[in-house]
Amino acid sequence: MTAPAFIFDWVPAENNGRYLLEGFVINLEVAFVSLIAAMAFGLLLALLRLSRNRLVSFAAGLWVDVFRNLPLVLLILFLTVLLKPVREAWENAAPDFLPESFQSGLVVGALAALILYNSAVLAEIMRAGILSLPRGQAEAASALGLTYAQSMRLVILPQGLRRMVPATVSQLITLNKDTTLVSLIAFQDVMRRGRSVVANAGNPFTGSKVEAPILEVFLFIGLLFIVVNLLLSRLSRRLEIREQKRSGTKLQRVEGLEDQIT
Amino acid sequence: MPIAFVDILTDNFGEWSSGFWVTVRLVIGSFVIAMVVGTFVAALRIAPNVWLQRLGGVYVEFFRNIPLLVLLFIVFLGLRDQGIRIDAWTAAILSLGLYTAAYIAEALRSGVFAVPKGQIEASLSLGFTYSQTLRRIVLPQAFRTVISPIGSLVIAMIKNSAIIGASIIALGDLLKVGRILNSRTFQAFPSFFWAAVGYLILTIAVTIAIRRLETRYAIRR
Repeated sequence: MTAPAFIFDWVPAENNGRYLLEGFVINLEVAFVSLIAAMAFGLLLALLRLSRNRLVSFAAGLWVDVFRNLPLVLLILFLTVLLKPVREAWENAAPDFLPESFQSGLVVGALAALILYNSAVLAEIMRAGILSLPRGQAEAASALGLTYAQSMRLVILPQGLRRMVPATVSQLITLNKDTTLVSLIAFQDVMRRGRSVVANAGNPFTGSKVEAPILEVFLFIGLLFIVVNLLLSRLSRRLEIREQKRSGTKLQRVEGLEDQIT
Repeated sequence: MPIAFVDILTDNFGEWSSGFWVTVRLVIGSFVIAMVVGTFVAALRIAPNVWLQRLGGVYVEFFRNIPLLVLLFIVFLGLRDQGIRIDAWTAAILSLGLYTAAYIAEALRSGVFAVPKGQIEASLSLGFTYSQTLRRIVLPQAFRTVISPIGSLVIAMIKNSAIIGASIIALGDLLKVGRILNSRTFQAFPSFFWAAVGYLILTIAVTIAIRRLETRYAIRR
């Protein structure tokens, strides 16, 4: 055994670096698709939870609380098993223009779980954003004769959603990290690719001569995430400051939400 | 509920409850590490020396932005590959603890900043040293303002502990038990359902406990 020295000479060799980077792009794609869908679904849940109908708001609240409090990885494994028929149907029906990884049936369980979990989290963020507005806004809107739907669309949502931008970007950071969990259902993401880089290392049968220690491979993958997530958190801070300048007031951050993490 | 559905739990209750306690122990162990390391890192972040602050900042940014699964691979597989053997429990608790410590540090730091500056100045002018001020004046108050964020972090730890069970480190936690039951009985829905119930029991219990603590001790600012 040699002393642990970091060489990273396996990165340029045999296209390993490129192979991992392409895998990382798959993770980012999964995160992006999930975020868009989860935002739409989350907004719906937030509105249902704020509904004046008691039953609707209770049901939406229960739904949100259950899915927010379950481990994401449990949902991924669970839905992958549960949605087996959908998975098979998707494998036959997936259009060719999609990236290869999105044509695999495994993407169904992965996306379903990521969207379910994140829509519950985002619903809470959106609800907090809406509730943080002064009550007078809604009262003024209805005094001006706007209907409930109009006041939501024209007055409440544009202001409330703006306040949740920083929290949403932080959620995207979490989401990026969470995409690694799809490797547990054998979805070919950057983690799986990392494992195969390790397995091929120094293997005479695959023709690879450069050894890639597990430690280095996963540090490399970790650094990819750290770089992208750091850029995102800078972006979030900058958006916040710009918003403060534009409105001339201190933007109220929607804070105190669990699940900023995970 | 059909009988078979409940049977999955009652027939395997021993396994289920042992999985439940593994998860509880994982969370408690990691929480202790997270609090100790997190307090230390928070102290670095607010230290009077710029280089110490940067060191704390690097810790926080590293552990907050790296996926927990990658961290587990590094600690468990990567170090073992380099000849450093860490047993599964230590690796699991260390990874989850160090990961959460970064969030605890940030929560504590914001709690410290919530303590009015005048108190620190007053304490220093009374002749307390920097570390005395921190220990006697600032931290006791900071801990009380951050009860609710730390509670959220415990809930996140409960959820994150499932990643340990699902990945390489098989300690037989709740999720692992759910998967074992699924592969043995071929009843996916009840198997995972009962694992999910276990997690919900834990997260709801913590939510209630935190709410109690908050009404008793929290300082709202």
